[in-house]
Amino acid sequence: MMVHVLYIEDENEIGSWVKKDLKKRGYEVTWLTSGEGVEQYISTADLVILDVMLPGLDGFSIGKRIKNDNGNVPILMLSARTAIEDKIEGLGFADDYLTKPFHPDELAARVEVLLRRFQKNDELIEIGHLAVYPEDLRIINKKTEEEIQLTGKQYYLFQYFIRHLNQILTKEQLYEGVWGEAYIEGDKTLMVHIRYLREKLEENPAKPKIIETIRGIGYRVKL
Amino acid sequence: MKKFFRSLLAKYMLIILMAIFLVQFAFIIIGTFFIGIESKFVSEDVPTATEIEEKWHKEANNLQSFSKAEISQHFAQWKKQYPDASMFWVDERGDLVETVDLKEELPQQWTAAFMAKFIKARYGGEPFTVIAFLGKDETNGFIVLELPRKEFQPPLQQASNDYALFVFMGMAVIILLFLFVSFMFFHNIRKRLLNLQASMTTRDVDGLPVQTAVKKYDEIGRLEQTFNEMIQELKEANEREKEEEQLRRELIANLSHDLRTPLTKMRAQIYSLSKENGLGEKQASIDMLEASIVDIDRLIENLMSYTLLIASRYKLEKKEVDVIRLVRECLATWYSVFEKEEFEIEVELQPFENNQWFVDPSWLGRIIDNLLQNVLRHARSGRYIQVKTESTERYDAFLFTDRGKGMQHVSNEKGAGIGLSIVDMMVKGMDLDWEISSTETGTSIKIMKYKKRV
Repeated sequence: MMVHVLYIEDENEIGSWVKKDLKKRGYEVTWLTSGEGVEQYISTADLVILDVMLPGLDGFSIGKRIKNDNGNVPILMLSARTAIEDKIEGLGFADDYLTKPFHPDELAARVEVLLRRFQKNDELIEIGHLAVYPEDLRIINKKTEEEIQLTGKQYYLFQYFIRHLNQILTKEQLYEGVWGEAYIEGDKTLMVHIRYLREKLEENPAKPKIIETIRGIGYRVKL
Repeated sequence: MKKFFRSLLAKYMLIILMAIFLVQFAFIIIGTFFIGIESKFVSEDVPTATEIEEKWHKEANNLQSFSKAEISQHFAQWKKQYPDASMFWVDERGDLVETVDLKEELPQQWTAAFMAKFIKARYGGEPFTVIAFLGKDETNGFIVLELPRKEFQPPLQQASNDYALFVFMGMAVIILLFLFVSFMFFHNIRKRLLNLQASMTTRDVDGLPVQTAVKKYDEIGRLEQTFNEMIQELKEANEREKEEEQLRRELIANLSHDLRTPLTKMRAQIYSLSKENGLGEKQASIDMLEASIVDIDRLIENLMSYTLLIASRYKLEKKEVDVIRLVRECLATWYSVFEKEEFEIEVELQPFENNQWFVDPSWLGRIIDNLLQNVLRHARSGRYIQVKTESTERYDAFLFTDRGKGMQHVSNEKGAGIGLSIVDMMVKGMDLDWEISSTETGTSIKIMKYKKRV
């Protein structure tokens, strides 16, 4: 099933361009020029792209309303308003904020990230020798055709990486994201779990390729 | 006139007048009282001791029969005239026969020795005592009269003995009353002044003093009212300033929006063009147009920030921030960009003695973004970026080093340096410092926080 993107933009030229570009990338796009009619499409939408300056109800109000009624639909604000206040207000309810003029590749990449984060994308993810089904986080070693079983914390840790594919995550972000507690400098828990995870996932845990170490910063799982 | 009666001055004058009046009144009362006593007693005869003695002797001598009934009657007559008197009769055998209102214990049988002792004790002492034999000779026993000596004092002295304490206490009460009323008066004033001072020093959420309730319309009340009016004016001025600030922000935001919309359209067109095949040499022009769009976008952003910063409208919200963590997270977002440009990236962030800096995280993030952006734009040729921490006795610092051609070298993408001006303003705005050292083989920028001297 195609991913359905609901796109609200009053500027014709930009609207038709983005719609065309997203369609080319394989999304089903519904483009509206104002907040009217959102209710009609929101039930089938997997993601909402929202401009701020709209005729009638502004993007912030529409976004807040959507988030209230449909909390699990990710919202990406796409706006020419770049002031910190606007971004902060936008990110109060939206899941991402991209400023104009944007590059279509960047928009597409952010849409991908959001869909992954909200698990709207059930496409198979291939990382090195692994095939990952994001919906139930089933991991198959393509070489041996065997399924890799992860224990509780390893599972959550890997899930966190999959939701933030290609992003470099610091120790603090990982620890707080998975354990839900503040990271204390010098705590070895995270490193121990990463070592276990690598032992299960990597072909050669001494030279990890799936979970990269970014020296001085953190870790990354890259497509 | 109404105003005058509400004033503290009027109240104070009233208290003083009342005090003067009360003291005068008290003196008049006391005066009248003593004059009354004088006039009451002066007309009456106050008997002297000798007169009483003579009268007692005379009447004892003149008694005809010495029956118990007669003596009792005689005593009763005296008692009527001198209510404070005590009397008794000792007969010829020395027996105590009749007594009236005795103040002390006396023996039933009088001996010569007790008699002598009694006379010795009473001679010239208290009470005044007269002993008289009954009848013409000493064979019938004797009767004794005892009178407190104050009976012979002049009436004024007696009154002053009896009432001095009351007069003294009365005066004390009047003085204490005056002191109390004065104290309450000033205590009240003091309390209200302190209240006013407290509301002057307490700050409301908007940073202004709180208004105070005006309960009375005297001098302090008017001061409170003026104070409230002043706060109201300040509030209105604040409100106006906020509105102006809001308008300015809106204007800048709208301006930025309006400039970016056509830019987005241009990019849309250029992007469509670039997707066409067989462009050949035109592709280079398209790439340049694309780069210009990015430039204009960045310049608009910087110009807006700069304008806001200059007008001090860029909100600074300092708080305790773990800077190592902040810088690391910043680097995490930039890492892939540098990676894509094939930079060699070295990160060495060692914890400081104190990782908590009192800064605005969004400002610090902005500074780092600007610095890294500069490396990417002007020092791309070096393909090297190093971010590390440095600690000396004087300061803790983050060091950003590249291997570009230095700042003297004119890069194709050199702007008016507005990005660095923003860095400068933000660094100084957060009480940090920075240093640039640039040679032809690279540039190094240090963001420093000085340690407090112990």
